[in-house]
Amino acid sequence: MIDLRAESPLDQFKIRPIVDLNFGGMDVSLTNSALWMLIAVGAIIVFFFLATRRASLIPSRIQGAAEVMYEFIFDLVRDTIGSEGRKFFPYVFTLFIFILVANFFGMIPSIPGTPKEMNTFTTTSHLIVTFALAMVTIAIVVIYGFWKNGLKFLKLFAPSGQPLPMYIILVPVEVVSFLSRPLSLAIRLFANMFAGHIILKVFAGFIVSLFGAGGAYALIGIFPFLGILAVTLLEFLIAALQAYVFAILTCIYLSDAAHAADH
Amino acid sequence: MANDLNEDGAGRDKPPALDEFSERLDRMRAEPHEKGPPSAGAGLGRAMRISTELLAGLLVGGALGYGLDRFLGSEPWFLLAGLGVGFAAGLRNLSRMLNTDKG
Repeated sequence: MIDLRAESPLDQFKIRPIVDLNFGGMDVSLTNSALWMLIAVGAIIVFFFLATRRASLIPSRIQGAAEVMYEFIFDLVRDTIGSEGRKFFPYVFTLFIFILVANFFGMIPSIPGTPKEMNTFTTTSHLIVTFALAMVTIAIVVIYGFWKNGLKFLKLFAPSGQPLPMYIILVPVEVVSFLSRPLSLAIRLFANMFAGHIILKVFAGFIVSLFGAGGAYALIGIFPFLGILAVTLLEFLIAALQAYVFAILTCIYLSDAAHAADH
Repeated sequence: MANDLNEDGAGRDKPPALDEFSERLDRMRAEPHEKGPPSAGAGLGRAMRISTELLAGLLVGGALGYGLDRFLGSEPWFLLAGLGVGFAAGLRNLSRMLNTDKG
C-alpha cells in the first residue's frame, strides 16, 4: 500500500548521503546529488559511444539524434562567436548536453516505496551546482579575454567614443553588469528548475489530499491531475529551453571576450 | 524508358541537373547564413532572461555597495549608490540583449 500522506514539496531537494566518505577532514560523501550527476554523465557517455560506434554516411537512428544535437550547437557557436568560436565548441556542447540531460533526468518520476536516497534528484535545482557551472563559463571568458586581447580586454568596461565625464557612470555600470552575468546565469537555471519541481509536487499533494478525503472530494481531484499534466509538459519544454539559454549565453559572453578589443 | 532520359542529355558537356545544382550551391554559399523566424521557444528564452538580468544586476550592485559600506563604515550611502548602479547595469544588460538578435 502506498503511503497517502503528502510530503513537504521541499523534501525532494534534500541532499542525502549515500556513501559516507571523508577526505582529510572534508565531507566528500557520495550524495544523491552527486549520484545523479554521475548517472547523467554516464548516460551521455553511453549514448554518444553507441551513436558514434558504427558511424556511417546514412546514419542510424541514434547516430541521427546525436548529429542533430551536434549540428544544433555547432550552428549556435558559429553564428554567435564566429569562426574562432570553433575551439569553444567542445565546452559549449558539453555544457549543453549535461544541463539538458540533468534537467530531463529530474523529470523521471521516482518509484513509489523506494528509499528516499534512491529517489530521482534534479541536480540543476541547486543554486550551488548552477553557480559552479556559471563560474566555469565566466572563468573561461576572463582567462581567454586577457589571453587574446591582453589589457585591451578591459575595454569591455569602457566602450570607446563617449564623452569623458560619462565614464564616471559608465565604468561602474559596466563592471556591475559584467559581475552580474554569472549570477544571472546561475539564478535563471536554478529558479526555473526549483520552481517547476515545487509546482509539480504541490499539485501532486492536492491530488493525494483530495483523494484521501474521499467521496465528492476524490472526484474534484481530477482538476489538479489535469493541472499536473499540463505543468509536466511545460516542464519538459523548460528543461530543454534552459539548457539552450545557458548555452547561448555562454556563447554570447565568449563572443564578448573574443571581440573585446574591437569596441 | 531510362535510356530515353540518358539520350536527352547526351549532347551536353554536363548533365543539366548537376549544373543547376552547383549554381544553387554557389548562391547559397554566397548568401550570409540566414536565420529563420525566431521560434516560440527562443521567444520564451528571451522573456526569461529579462527578469533575471534585472534581478542579478540589482543583487550584485547591492552586494557590492553593502560590502563597501561595511568596509568603510559609511552606511547606507554605498548601498544606495550600489542599488542604483545595479539597476542601471541590469537595464544595460537588457538593452544589449534587445539590441542584438542573438537569443
